[in-house]
Amino acid sequence: MDKPNPDNRGEFFDQFLDDYYTECDEHLVSIRRSLVVLEDDVNTYALDRTLLDNLFRSFHTLKGISGMVGLAAAEQLAHHLESYLRELREGTVVLTQSGFEALVAGVSLLEGVIHARRNDQPIPSIDQLVERLQAISVDSVTSEAPAATTETRENDSTITRWQVEFTPTAELAERGVNVNSVRARLQEIGQVLQAKPVVKGAGEIAFEFIVAADVDQTAVASLETDGLTFQPAPVEREPRTREILPTPMIAPASVVRVDLDRLDELMRIVGDLVISRTRLDDQVAELKRVTPPAAWRSLQEVNLTMGRQLRDLRESVMRVRMVQIGEIFERMTFVVRDLARENGKKIIVQLSGGETEIDKFLVERMMDPLMHLVRNAVSHGLETVAEREAQGKRSEGVLLLSAMTAGERIVIKIADDGRGIDRGVVIERAKPKGLNPENAEIDDDALLNLICTPGLSTRDEADRESGRGVGMDVVKKATEDLGGRISLSTRIGEGTTFTIELPLTLAIAEALIVSVNGQRFAVPQSGVREVLEVESASTRVLENNEIISYRGKVLPLIRLTRIFEMNHQRGEKFHVLVVGEETNAVGLAVDRILGQREIVVRAIKDPLAQSRGIAGATELGDQRVVLILDISALRQLAVTSRH
Amino acid sequence: MPDESKLNNILVVDDSPTMRRMVITSLGSLRHVKSTQAGSGLEAIERLAIEPVDLMVLDLNMPDMHGMEVINFVRKHQAYRNIPIVVLTTKSEESSRTEALAAGANRYLTKPFDPRQLADVVGSLLQTS
Repeated sequence: MDKPNPDNRGEFFDQFLDDYYTECDEHLVSIRRSLVVLEDDVNTYALDRTLLDNLFRSFHTLKGISGMVGLAAAEQLAHHLESYLRELREGTVVLTQSGFEALVAGVSLLEGVIHARRNDQPIPSIDQLVERLQAISVDSVTSEAPAATTETRENDSTITRWQVEFTPTAELAERGVNVNSVRARLQEIGQVLQAKPVVKGAGEIAFEFIVAADVDQTAVASLETDGLTFQPAPVEREPRTREILPTPMIAPASVVRVDLDRLDELMRIVGDLVISRTRLDDQVAELKRVTPPAAWRSLQEVNLTMGRQLRDLRESVMRVRMVQIGEIFERMTFVVRDLARENGKKIIVQLSGGETEIDKFLVERMMDPLMHLVRNAVSHGLETVAEREAQGKRSEGVLLLSAMTAGERIVIKIADDGRGIDRGVVIERAKPKGLNPENAEIDDDALLNLICTPGLSTRDEADRESGRGVGMDVVKKATEDLGGRISLSTRIGEGTTFTIELPLTLAIAEALIVSVNGQRFAVPQSGVREVLEVESASTRVLENNEIISYRGKVLPLIRLTRIFEMNHQRGEKFHVLVVGEETNAVGLAVDRILGQREIVVRAIKDPLAQSRGIAGATELGDQRVVLILDISALRQLAVTSRH
Repeated sequence: MPDESKLNNILVVDDSPTMRRMVITSLGSLRHVKSTQAGSGLEAIERLAIEPVDLMVLDLNMPDMHGMEVINFVRKHQAYRNIPIVVLTTKSEESSRTEALAAGANRYLTKPFDPRQLADVVGSLLQTS
């Protein structure tokens, strides 16, 4: 095996980049969480010591690991943020509003620097921010005695203090009982005020915890297992005990971190199993045809049991890949605060369903699009305080971020109670581009289509100003690429709601297996709204488009034979899969529906084999490869081939 | 395959998992060593209770129990007094070097560190101890 050469430092530390980004993310999440709390303490002397310690340590670690991977801008910026935090902690400066804002801006820039490195983009300059941080450190020095930071969480003296002793051993550690797990357990019954190691008579090490807990002797007695002993603690404390609170950064001992690649690998193996099971299924079906029941019945039972177990396995693996969406919501809250301050708006962010879980891969892909919707809501949807008051609305705008699961899908809503989207303005903008030429009244779906047309958004300028390359068209595309769907609901003066529906996971999907011209294709079922049976005689041709009537409207047909240039033989009847939103639904014409299958989605990596309209490939039981259709790309191909 | 029990056990203490991996990988070039890790001062001391440790690579700024407290604890107790300690810390306060060395750290290195230098320092301390 090739060993990395420690002499070549750059190369050597490059192998840790993935760990680095993961850890940076964790610290940035924790920092944002702390800053939201810290904001309430601006201009007060009573800063929460634990909070400052955690912030300080996060910046300190970011500085350390950034230095190791040679990202000097992040290292320096983290260093200056750390220095400012040290001054706050030592009480030599007061946290002013401008100081807080510099802190927030610094964190955003730090994130930007790391993000840029990760995506091989130019690293933004940190000079201005560094100056700003240095300036506040000087400006806000107190002339009086240093402000005392509060000892956090003074304890109610009526609550009993317990002294708990834990003696670690190799056997206990093997069973997962260690200083961390013990502390976590104590944290559940009360507050751990102190944790320190002591050496007992024979030189053995033990840990002494002081816990303030409102429990009685019988309750603690039940905890006296695994080398723990309890006794009421002497009331006098040492002059200055270090308070120990759990830090969100340190994962409890029972949590492991796993590289997403490894989970992908695991998912791939599960996928292979799914395929083998399909093969077994086919074999059993074949046996059924040619042998009496006695010969195949028990095999069939085993096969069905395996099917169930496989589903359980698949679900368990999927669950491992899930992360809570609340983490993204917190990031958004942070962006909202930042933007609201810049724009002179007052905004209350309401979160709901933060515990909803979503595939890590989806989270990463949807991060920017969701952020774009939130920025839009704050910059354009919600009004200023004056505007709101003039309309008799409460002065704070409300931004609701919610998530929930519905069956196999997750529904994310971003709703504001702002001014709503002005259809008139959008229609005016659409006219010169030849969109909506009839000047017709448009419903929410049509409106969404218009604002998602590249180059049409009334907000493009502002978005570019704020340095975001994402537009509504990108939001829509990202959602659809992931097999999701976006919808809009807006009313003038009342607000706008964007609803995004996504599949919970991507790797394994339910699909319809169809045949066109003797070729089989898989169509992800999440994109299919309805399946119709159509008489060939009932189709019409309009402006070079084949159409059928569908629910009183016209449904354009997509012929795969045309797109993929295959021969086209027509039967008397065929099937149509209705895909897409109500207003721009299209029908995918296929010869036959062969069945419904659980398919394992494999990306086609060979550029020679990649083709627009094909999302990937899958394998069915008979070991033949079946192409998976990319519905949204096909729709676009159909549109362009018409013109 | 060398006998596990004859390997020198290096305890790597740092609250950053990335940093721990970097340190452990850097020490990979040394012969006859294995490493154990701990994410906090308290965990480090727990490791000492559980298994023999031949050398510690110790970060200073950690939650729960500062690296300085770990040094003080180790140097105060007979059973651990002679374990060589290499402090490996992100430079922040000038005073910490003097403080750490005075408390009994054998060497004081700063991050970003040079993997070869770290391995050399650890290797030579293991030889002389």
